[in-house]
Amino acid sequence: MTTVSDNRTRFVALWREKLGKLSVRQLIGLTIITILVVLGILAPYLGLSDPNQSSLDILQGASANHWFGTDALGRDVFSRVIHGIRVSVLIGLGVGVIGTVLGVPIGLIAGYARGTIDLVILQVIDLFVALPALVLALIITAIVGSTAINIALVLGFVMWPQMARLVRGQVIFIRESVYVEAARALGGKPSWIIRQHILPNAIRLVIAQFSITVAFGIFSSASLSFLGLGVPPPAPDWGTMVREGVQFLAFSPLMSIAPGAAVTLTVLGFYLLGSKDD
Amino acid sequence: MLSHITRRILLMIPNVIAMTFLLFATVLSFLGSPAAAMLGQEASLEEIAALNKQYGFDRPIIVQYFDWIAHALQGDFGRSYTSQQSVADALLPTIPVTLELSLWAILLAVVATILFNSVPFARRVVQPITTTLAVIGITIPNFMLGICLIFIFAVKLRWLPTTGWVPWSAGVGAHLSHIILPVVTLSANYFGSFTLVYREEYKAAYRRLFIKVARAKGLSEMRVSLVHALPNAILPVVTYVGLSLGPLVGGAVVTEMVFSMPGVGRLFVSAIGAHDFPVMLAIGILVIFGVMVANLISDIVYTSINRQVSLG
Repeated sequence: MTTVSDNRTRFVALWREKLGKLSVRQLIGLTIITILVVLGILAPYLGLSDPNQSSLDILQGASANHWFGTDALGRDVFSRVIHGIRVSVLIGLGVGVIGTVLGVPIGLIAGYARGTIDLVILQVIDLFVALPALVLALIITAIVGSTAINIALVLGFVMWPQMARLVRGQVIFIRESVYVEAARALGGKPSWIIRQHILPNAIRLVIAQFSITVAFGIFSSASLSFLGLGVPPPAPDWGTMVREGVQFLAFSPLMSIAPGAAVTLTVLGFYLLGSKDD
Repeated sequence: MLSHITRRILLMIPNVIAMTFLLFATVLSFLGSPAAAMLGQEASLEEIAALNKQYGFDRPIIVQYFDWIAHALQGDFGRSYTSQQSVADALLPTIPVTLELSLWAILLAVVATILFNSVPFARRVVQPITTTLAVIGITIPNFMLGICLIFIFAVKLRWLPTTGWVPWSAGVGAHLSHIILPVVTLSANYFGSFTLVYREEYKAAYRRLFIKVARAKGLSEMRVSLVHALPNAILPVVTYVGLSLGPLVGGAVVTEMVFSMPGVGRLFVSAIGAHDFPVMLAIGILVIFGVMVANLISDIVYTSINRQVSLG
C-alpha cells in the first residue's frame, strides 16, 4: 500500500534524479525556457504598459520608460516582446504536439511492422524530409489563412516526418532485443508489446525530439510571420515585429533586433533542452 | 551502377507526380474558385462561371493538372493574375540570383565545416567555439542573422552596402560586396548542421583501424587527419547536403526578403501576398522538382564515390 505522501516523496526523488541526469546543455535550455515561460505567464501582472496601446510617442529610442523604445505606432517594444512569448511558445507547443501525435504512431507502425508497410512509410518520410517545408507551409498558410491554430497545424503537418523517422529507427533497434522476443514468445499481441515494451523505451527520444520540434516550430512560425504570414495584428508576434522594425534599423535598431533576439533565445532554449551532448 | 541510377530515376517520377499533384489539388481546392478570387466580391455568379469556363477551372482537377503539366513542359506556366506578364518571363531572371546565392552558401558552409573541424590543432583549441557557433548557427533565424549583419557591417561600420543586388556585369567588386552578407546569412544554418554530422563521422573514422595504422607508420597528425580521416567523414556530408536542399530553399526565401534580392523567393512571397495563383503554383512545383532532382544527383554522387554502398 502506498500512501499519498509516499507517492509525493517518490515523485520528488524521481524528479531530482531526472534533473541530475540532465547535461549542462539541457540545464541551460531548461533555465532559459523556465524564465521565458514564467515571464510569459506573468506578462499581464508585471506592470508593463499595454502591448497594443498605441501612443503619440512614436519611434522613440530606449529610455527608462520604454526599455526597448517604441514602435511606429508608439507601442512599447519591451512590453510587446514580453507578451510575444505567449504567442510564440503556444504556437511552438502546438507544432510539437501535432508533430508528435502524427509522427510517433507512424514511426511505431513502420518500425514494428517492417516489410511493405515500412517501405511505403519510409518513402513518404523521405519525400517529406527532402521537401522545402517552409515553401509548402507558406503556400498552405496563405490559402487557409494565418491564424495561430492554422500555423500550428500546417507546421506540425510538415514536421512530423523527422519524429516518425527517429521513432522508427529506435523501434527497429528495440524490437530485436531479448525482452521483446520473450514478450512475443509469451504470446503478446503487437499492440500490447508496443505499449508495454517498446513505447516506454522510446519515450526519452520522443521527449527530446518534441523539444526540438517545438524549437523549429517557433523558428518557422517566426519566419512565416517575418514574410507577412503571422498571427493577425495587433497580437504581438515577434516575426511581424521584426518585419515592421527592420525599415527603422539604422536609427531604432532595438525595434527589430529585440524581438529577433527573443526568437533566437527561445529557439535556443528548446533546442538545447532536446539535444544531446557531443 | 547504371541500373541503380535508372531505378532511382524511375522511382522519382511517380514521387514528383504525386507531390506536384498534391500541391496542385491543395491549392485549387482550398482556393475555391480562382475566378471568384480574381473578380472580387461584387462579381455575379454568371460572371464567375464564364471566367471559370474561359480559364478551364470548371474541369476536374486531374484534367487541369495534366493540362498544366503539358503546358509547363512547353515552357508555358500561364499568366500572372496581377501583372498579366507570362509567368515564365517573370520567373526566368530570378532563377540565377537564387541559384548563385544557394551555391555560394552551401560551398561556404561545407568549407567552413571542414576547416573548423578537421585541422588537428583547430580541433583541440577551437572545438568549444565551433560547438557554440554551430548551435547558434542552427537556432538563429535567417532574418535575425541578416539584420544583425546589416546593422554591424552596413549601418555601423559602413563597409558593405545594406541591401540590394548588382549583377556581375556591373563589376566584380560591387557584385561580391552585395552578395557576401546574404551568403553568410544563408550558410549559418548549414554550417551548424553540417558540423554536427561531420563531427560524428569524423570521430567514427578516427576510431577505425586504418587511423592506427597511419599513425603507426609515423605520419604527422595533420596528414592522418586530412588524408585519412577527412575523406571518410566527408561522404555522409554529401548525402546531408542533398537532404538539406529543401530547407535551404526556405532559408533562401527569407534571406532574399531581408536583403531585397530579386530572386525566386522574393517573387514567391509577393505572389503569395497577392494570391497570384499561377506564379505561386509554378514556383512551388518547380522548387519541388528541383529539390528532388538535386537529391537524386547527390544520391548518385554518393554511390559513385562510395563503392561500399550496395548498388544492387
